[in-house]
Amino acid sequence: MHGQAIEKNNMLHLTVNGKRYALEQGSRSDQVAPEHTLAYTLRETLGLTGTKVSCDEGACGACTVIMDGKTILSCMTLTIECDGNSITTIEGLSDPTTKKLDPLQQAFIDHTAFQCGFCTPGMIMSAKALLRENPAPTEEEVKEALAGNFCRCISHYHVVKAVMAASVKSR
Amino acid sequence: MRPFTHYDAHAVEEALTLLKRYNGRAVLNAGGTDLLSALKGEYLLHYPEAIINIKTIPDLAYIREDGDMLRIGALARLSDVVNSPLLRKRYNALAEAAYSVATPQVRNMATLGGNLCQDIRCWYYRYPRHIGGPIGCLRKGNKACLAATGDNRYHAIMGGKGCFAVCPSDTAVALAALNGRIKIVGTRGERSVPVTDFFHPLGNELKRGEMVREIEVPRITGMVRQTFLKFTLRRPVDFAIVSVASVIAVPRGRCREARIALGAVGPAPVRATAAEEWLKGKPISEATAAEAATAALTGARPLRMNSYKVEIAKTLIKRALTS
Repeated sequence: MHGQAIEKNNMLHLTVNGKRYALEQGSRSDQVAPEHTLAYTLRETLGLTGTKVSCDEGACGACTVIMDGKTILSCMTLTIECDGNSITTIEGLSDPTTKKLDPLQQAFIDHTAFQCGFCTPGMIMSAKALLRENPAPTEEEVKEALAGNFCRCISHYHVVKAVMAASVKSR
Repeated sequence: MRPFTHYDAHAVEEALTLLKRYNGRAVLNAGGTDLLSALKGEYLLHYPEAIINIKTIPDLAYIREDGDMLRIGALARLSDVVNSPLLRKRYNALAEAAYSVATPQVRNMATLGGNLCQDIRCWYYRYPRHIGGPIGCLRKGNKACLAATGDNRYHAIMGGKGCFAVCPSDTAVALAALNGRIKIVGTRGERSVPVTDFFHPLGNELKRGEMVREIEVPRITGMVRQTFLKFTLRRPVDFAIVSVASVIAVPRGRCREARIALGAVGPAPVRATAAEEWLKGKPISEATAAEAATAALTGARPLRMNSYKVEIAKTLIKRALTS
């Protein structure tokens, strides 16, 4: 048998938006408990409230973040299982020194690609992951990539336009 | 979520030892997309004491052909199944079935093993605590099935026995048409069962302390046409109302072999053996496809609200055969 089946009591290491965090495991407000989701840790422990929680059961995509290059649902992920992982949230897209918005964020503003805005961080993270892998997607590919992000204000038409505008084809 | 003890297993043996130690009070976690619903909704009668993360087990996410067998490790992500050049080329029904699951984010998290082991979607069974659940039912070890007399529009039209929930796994349907088997491992050794036998009316083939290790599919050779079709109300997110996977060989215009599996119609994927036999030696046309569809659904016994599923199943079979 490899390794020891011991309960974890060591530190948890996360990289969020390029910043490294070492979090203790425990039940204090600055610690991570086994039952904490990544969405909870980002919002409540690290104060990164840009990531939203809507359905809290993996259906709506509002809590989407990028982990090691792939979009995941932070509400359905246990923080304790993210040790050593690198996470990008909506707060990590703007330039850290100039604070200039990511071109994708600017495109959402330019196209008014939101109404209430609650689903927008998740929409942008899904679109960002797509553009990183495929900088010149077709409209169909944009729709596929955003198939897991629900908007109850019906902002989708503007969202697709914004993502297309932010792709390299339009530059 | 309520507190639990958490472990990272670094080997299959370690996961099995922990399962044994907890004797039914621990559950395995792979992608987590189904398990976390259960933990948040508290719709089961017992909350697990421990969660055993198996994502930390190395080398269990492979997709490879090995002699005359395709082998997929239980931890292969659905997105890996979708994007595998090997699967897209030779086992396309499985790649398409994986692609039909949920959303891009869920496919990046969920594993093939987890997709096969996921819990049923019956709305009585999954009624969450925060709105008055959990509801006891036959599957939870007490009382009768509420869907049998209640709202059963999404329940079984064949094979239901006591519980009328359907198998929610899309990949299971493709694997059933591909003659796939599921390799199960426990502290007492390994065994393998056909995918169609893995699902039982009240649960699945896994006994206490066992886990799925691998999915095997006999190597596909020669010219075969594979299809996976899924009927849902919305294209993303929704579970199948009915799905069909087909693997057919039609050399020189006559059907040599047809394998047709129906999904979301019963507790397990159902192979339409009568239709498969009937098609042998016949040309594939609108007429023969319609006959095969009728033959496939002769055994259907719909409940009060779901006879519409019979018609959808027939239509999907016709489309799958003639596509």
